[in-house]
Amino acid sequence: MVYRIADNIISPLGETTEQNYLAVKDGRSALCHYNHQWDIPEPFTASLFTDAQNEALAVEGLTRFESLAFTSAKKAIEASKINVSGANVVFILSTTKGNIELIFSDREDTAIYPGTAARHIAERLGIKTKPITVCNACISGVSALVLALRLLEAGHYDYAVVCGADVQNKFTVSGFQSLKAISENECRPFDIERMGLNLGEAAATLVLSRQPVDSWAIERGAVRNDAFHISSPSKNGDGARMALNAIVRDTDKERLAFINAHGTATMFNDQMESVAITGAGLGEIPVNAYKGYFGHTLGAAGVLETVLSMAAADDHTILATRGFEERGVSGKVQISAQNSTTDKCSFVKMISGFGGCNGAILVSRKPEQKAEEKTVRNFETKHRVQISPSAILVDGQEIEVGGERSALPLATEGTQEVEVRGKSLLTAIYKRYVDDYPKFYKMDPLSRLGLVATELLLQAEGKRRDVPSEDRAVILFNRSSSIQADQKYLDSIADPEDYFPSPSVFVYTLPNIVTGEIAMRNHYHGETSFYIIDEKNDDLMNQTLSASFADIKTKSMIGGWIDYQDDSHFEADIYIVELTNH
Amino acid sequence: MEDLVLELKKEIIEALNLEDVTPEDIDADAPLFGSGLGLDSIDALELIVLIEKKYGIKLKDPSKSKEVFMSVNIMARFIAENRTK
Repeated sequence: MVYRIADNIISPLGETTEQNYLAVKDGRSALCHYNHQWDIPEPFTASLFTDAQNEALAVEGLTRFESLAFTSAKKAIEASKINVSGANVVFILSTTKGNIELIFSDREDTAIYPGTAARHIAERLGIKTKPITVCNACISGVSALVLALRLLEAGHYDYAVVCGADVQNKFTVSGFQSLKAISENECRPFDIERMGLNLGEAAATLVLSRQPVDSWAIERGAVRNDAFHISSPSKNGDGARMALNAIVRDTDKERLAFINAHGTATMFNDQMESVAITGAGLGEIPVNAYKGYFGHTLGAAGVLETVLSMAAADDHTILATRGFEERGVSGKVQISAQNSTTDKCSFVKMISGFGGCNGAILVSRKPEQKAEEKTVRNFETKHRVQISPSAILVDGQEIEVGGERSALPLATEGTQEVEVRGKSLLTAIYKRYVDDYPKFYKMDPLSRLGLVATELLLQAEGKRRDVPSEDRAVILFNRSSSIQADQKYLDSIADPEDYFPSPSVFVYTLPNIVTGEIAMRNHYHGETSFYIIDEKNDDLMNQTLSASFADIKTKSMIGGWIDYQDDSHFEADIYIVELTNH
Repeated sequence: MEDLVLELKKEIIEALNLEDVTPEDIDADAPLFGSGLGLDSIDALELIVLIEKKYGIKLKDPSKSKEVFMSVNIMARFIAENRTK
């Protein structure tokens, strides 16, 4: 359990949690209709900062995205009164596309990498430890809170500053338009007339403490994968239901004031959530969604909607679902159309995203406080695969590529010259050792690297499981995010005369898609998470993997480093780790 | 029309990265989706981009695309009737 000591929300509706809460309670929305914004031909509705707001938020030396996240984190830290310069404070940034708008001016610059932004923000805040960026698509905010919960419970830090933020631009808006996910008009979560989502800009921060204080607490959190599709949610809501089951399990459901759903107002998301909620036995609990006020704020959403839910419950209020009138989903959920009152002190925040991931947290005010002991979880590495442009190693031994299809192990004598290099190396590995999964050819280079590395790893393990499982997590790290897909997608929108945003490229502009591809291929419904750090750091990665065994189901993981900067600079260093003291 | 059907098959293979598939492998009368090609919802969206980019046809209503993508022959006929480039 971790405790809230301060928070903040900055959105076009206000720059404090209170301003935002009062605006929402009053039914106000920041959604506006835009025509030809950023030279995008199709009109759209979104919640964007005005020029005056952007100017007021700008911090010298920081980008628009960094300024927003920094300002939110700074306000929350000031309110928390903690000293953040010690080794006992970690900064966790949640974002989907961070500084992506810089790609329009300089596509080669590492300033685009989310880890660079996290470093800039942490430095300005005076935080000295290495920041971690959570890049787990739309569930990033909840993922970041789950990560904070684990790192604090494991005793690695005493405080976590969790900041979720995203800004919008031609890149993100055109991409969601290409997926036909955007509504031209104001979104209508769970409504029969819903036509898609609206995007939004915001930042939100939670400062969390390991020491019990009289406040809100994040009691439990879980992430599960649909193992179904990289951009469509599972029709029966498998992953979301499993995430809900993992956090409510033995809890008295009478405690729950409401479930704050993702409620993006796309046909598929809201339908899926409705069956996941009823499937988890929570059909009687009121459900609401906040996208009608803020739009979908991507990396900010999970944090923002959690903070807003705390403020609402403090005011004994279940907020209305703006835009909802008549239920248009098959799961018989109780959608809150109007503000109502409650005297209950717990809620569930749920969220789903591309890559098939789903997250849920259980949040309560003044829960029973008992002293918790640090749990040290040990794991051992079972198998390891390393792939770089110059070598492929399975459990330390070099393997052949090229030639006819065959299975591992291939004992080779001495060091062998790898003849196939660069991009074609991955295809050569695929042809030799896999060759029965043509979806490989549809993937971006990062997912191709992840797929072939995992295939080699599982062949080394020698017990491929073709049945759905929930006990194996996929937790990967990198530095370059999805830079190859980002640049390829930019090519499809950069020229106004040749503007054809590609949906199949856009989906890969989220690095966690690689974890979704691995989950789909192997029917893994366990946790999938993707983290970005400034450089490969085994200590930080091991600390995170170890803490992630706190999940009640996870018994083994595919973890490690997977980075694809360009065709001459890529590296997979992934391993299977298993819990030893459970 | 035969030329257009062959051209379209090649375009589909390229746009959807159907490596290891040749134009001969695609039955022009068979359903494009739900058949052996293993196409999904993102492929359908990419085909919408394809017919706009190559043939200048804007398909606004996604439910209309279901009819158009019934088979390569139906797609070719639709393109022949509606193309602007």
